[in-house]
Amino acid sequence: MKKLLAVTLGILTAIGGFVDIGDLVTNALVGARFGMRLAWVVVVGVIGICLYAEMSGRVVAMSGRPVFDLIRERLGRRTGLFALIASFLVTLLTLIAEIGGVALAFELASGVNYLLWMPLAAIAVWLVIWRVKFSHLEKVFGLLGLLLIVFAVALWKLGPNWGQLAHQVTHPVPTGHETWLTYAYYAIALFGAAMTPYEVFFFSSGGVEEKWSRNDLGTERANVYLGFPLGGLLSLAIAGCTAVLYLPAGIKVETLGQVTLPTAVALGKLGLAIVLVGVFAATFGAALETALSCGYTIAQYFGWQWGKFVRPRQASRFHLIIVICLALSILVLLTAVDPVKVTEYSVVFAAMALPLTYLPILIIANDPDYMGESTNGRVLNFLALIYLGLLLLASIAAIPLMIVTKAGQ
Amino acid sequence: MTGKILHAQLHLMDRQLIEYRSGALLGKVDDVELDLRSEIPVVAALISGHQRIPAADIAEIDSAVKITPYQLNLTKGDDWVEQHLIGKIPGAGNETE
Repeated sequence: MKKLLAVTLGILTAIGGFVDIGDLVTNALVGARFGMRLAWVVVVGVIGICLYAEMSGRVVAMSGRPVFDLIRERLGRRTGLFALIASFLVTLLTLIAEIGGVALAFELASGVNYLLWMPLAAIAVWLVIWRVKFSHLEKVFGLLGLLLIVFAVALWKLGPNWGQLAHQVTHPVPTGHETWLTYAYYAIALFGAAMTPYEVFFFSSGGVEEKWSRNDLGTERANVYLGFPLGGLLSLAIAGCTAVLYLPAGIKVETLGQVTLPTAVALGKLGLAIVLVGVFAATFGAALETALSCGYTIAQYFGWQWGKFVRPRQASRFHLIIVICLALSILVLLTAVDPVKVTEYSVVFAAMALPLTYLPILIIANDPDYMGESTNGRVLNFLALIYLGLLLLASIAAIPLMIVTKAGQ
Repeated sequence: MTGKILHAQLHLMDRQLIEYRSGALLGKVDDVELDLRSEIPVVAALISGHQRIPAADIAEIDSAVKITPYQLNLTKGDDWVEQHLIGKIPGAGNETE
């Protein structure tokens, strides 16, 4: 019974934890412009993150080594450093976007400008990391993030023409003003949002924090294989809402307010209140994950003591990195840069860094030295290689598409 | 380590260094020093940053390299940051709740 509870809790937190500011904004934006015509990318992205998150979790359970440890080990010092710089910058950019998201959620709730909320949000993130036990973080914010299910309820309440939405899903081509170039650009953005590198940094380091062993593999797999796909359904519900509400009117999504508006239209004030708590939890939870991931990547590359399983003073450089990253986030956001724009760029840059993150995981997951008998099977390797090809393609195409489409305009 | 073949490039280079008893993370193996005087080259020491860890300090090699450094302090960087910055913040020595 206790085991079942642990699995259920894990799945619930995975659902809530899957969606962050990148998924919120990108799905809403894509829904408003393309309807459900890019829904397949969310499905492809979710399968990809399931494959690689399961692998990284298995590697941790069998060898006790988190992802960035292995990146350094397999890529060596130089290529590893390149991977570190790319992954770290992308994670930092995501952190900035998440902090901005938390502040924007407070602005929507209070009417007070987000620039005033933003330093408070960053300090709150630091306090939680400094004082709160690791296992509590995921549970609280993951469960609260489940409130985002209100998007699914809202979609149903909006009473859409389901046939039309299904038609969009089965006709995955750009229409109207949209070209194949913008279509491809947003496909990469959605892919990057679903497979953001910090997810595996956090997931695998979390496995070490919670001292996973061989016995936890079942729980870990249940979380990944059920939690992430259900989280993907949430993403699709967000795109569905904006597809119904904005696409026919030709309205583009440019603010977080527009992302949440469909719930207010469908369910009134209560809907809006629920979605704001959900957005807060999702972005705050992701801010914790990205802030920790900034520390994880650098400390694991250099071999420094890291983690919340020791007292802060024992992992002093790890905590210093987190403080510096949060301070940098405040400084960047104080320039009044639009957090929604930061988010849009962060998911595309994430797509660029993907191959360097996922290749070493695949190599180690096949190494019996680490894995004993739990190496990848043939089918899994076949699928993982296909995804590596996709990641490489997305990574190469990201910047040229960004330039040609002027970031999707 | 009996009967197990280790490849210096694969099993030593860029591996995590761990304090054998406490499990503290100490750094990475940045380089390997070989003793070429004997017939077969022997690993004489591991290099981490500017520190030289004699092969005699190596206790175990699995997914990481576990060592018992008798006369070395490999956590100078962490100690400095702890003393001057992080250690001064209230709660730095507490377990999280």
